[in-house]
Amino acid sequence: MLAATASRAVAADPGPDLVARGAYLATAAGCENCHTDKEHGGQRFAGGPALPTPFGTFYGPNITPDAETGIGRWSDAQFLRALREGVRADGANLYPAFPYPSFTEIADEDALAIKAYLFSLPPVRQQSRDQNVSFPFSWRTLISIWKLLFFTPGRFRPLPDRAAGSNRGAYLVTALGHCGECHTPRNWLGAMEPDAFLAGTPTGPDGKKVPNITPDAKTGIGKWSEDDIVNLLKDGQTPEFDFVGGAMRAIVDDTSHLTDADRGAIAVFLKNVPAKPFAGNE
Amino acid sequence: MKRSPIVLAAALLAAAGFAGTASAEDAKVMQDRQALMKQQGADMGGVKGYLDDKNDLAKATEAATDLPKTMAKLPDVFPPGTAGPNPDGKYETKAEVWTDWNGFLSARDTAAKKADALLAAVKGGDKAAIQTAFAELGKEGCGGCHQKFRAEIKK
Repeated sequence: MLAATASRAVAADPGPDLVARGAYLATAAGCENCHTDKEHGGQRFAGGPALPTPFGTFYGPNITPDAETGIGRWSDAQFLRALREGVRADGANLYPAFPYPSFTEIADEDALAIKAYLFSLPPVRQQSRDQNVSFPFSWRTLISIWKLLFFTPGRFRPLPDRAAGSNRGAYLVTALGHCGECHTPRNWLGAMEPDAFLAGTPTGPDGKKVPNITPDAKTGIGKWSEDDIVNLLKDGQTPEFDFVGGAMRAIVDDTSHLTDADRGAIAVFLKNVPAKPFAGNE
Repeated sequence: MKRSPIVLAAALLAAAGFAGTASAEDAKVMQDRQALMKQQGADMGGVKGYLDDKNDLAKATEAATDLPKTMAKLPDVFPPGTAGPNPDGKYETKAEVWTDWNGFLSARDTAAKKADALLAAVKGGDKAAIQTAFAELGKEGCGGCHQKFRAEIKK
């Protein structure tokens, strides 16, 4: 069993070891994409790059086990509450730039495995950057209203009539992978539009276009086979033998470490979500 | 039309001392560039086809032999003044290619090395090794360059 130490070693099949399982799940959830500033050589999980949005620019905080500047003093219950309800250990609301609308569905044992993994890493003393948000969005209390309108906490519920393997795929896409957070269009207050789940948007993070990954034949990936989807997740390869760059490239760095079974499950699920047209001016 | 990014890039480069100007030659180069990339895509397809048992090793060898050749041609199809949307209109070449020419050449060198490694693996005949070399070339070689120097065009 590979242990998650300083390297990015991720066990292909984590097995019972909690920290190794947590490492695998943290890769599936792509935590480092927001919590490690890779471009500037930042230390792992000590704080992430800028995420520009229409509401301000957000920075993933330090989630190493440092007691002063990280989450070293957080209990299991506090960690679960952050993922489940979007509430910080000190009781303040978290901005939904932290994708708790998706993470709320993560199973307790998976969340705690991720916590165990994080707590196995070296603590890094580094102050988290302030979120660069202007009034009124700077007032975290207002997020309670946002949550009332748009957010329902709750664990993932498998559906009995899903295609074989698709519940695992649904969990990976909807909860851990939180793919919808980039691939779903948002309303004027920044909440994902559930009727257009995964249908893409012309104005994703960084203001860039995010593709439609529903099975729509014209504007989505309807013509892709399950193998095509697996090839993308494994090597970044498209059906035309192009290789993705841009934001998806960082995702492929993570999905290339998933098991074949998990990538296959994602593919099955994506081929079965409701087909929607691209939510843009195309 | 979509000429303005090309003209702007050309004007900036001209101001910086390069001789590039937007022209019919530039349009031809961009056609050639896209054709070269598609040829590389087809070659990758030839190798992947072997890995998926859709074609034979001879086809994979032909494809893998072509890749280092096309890698060598890449700098020729990126003359200054040719930033902007490709003929397909799906992607655009970023000005970073020329503002970070060393980085571009370095990315190309990485891709070229991985293409050589793929050819060696294909000649060795071991499918697992070929799979690994293919994935590396795709992700680190092709993807590595696309990561920095190509952008999808917002529609």
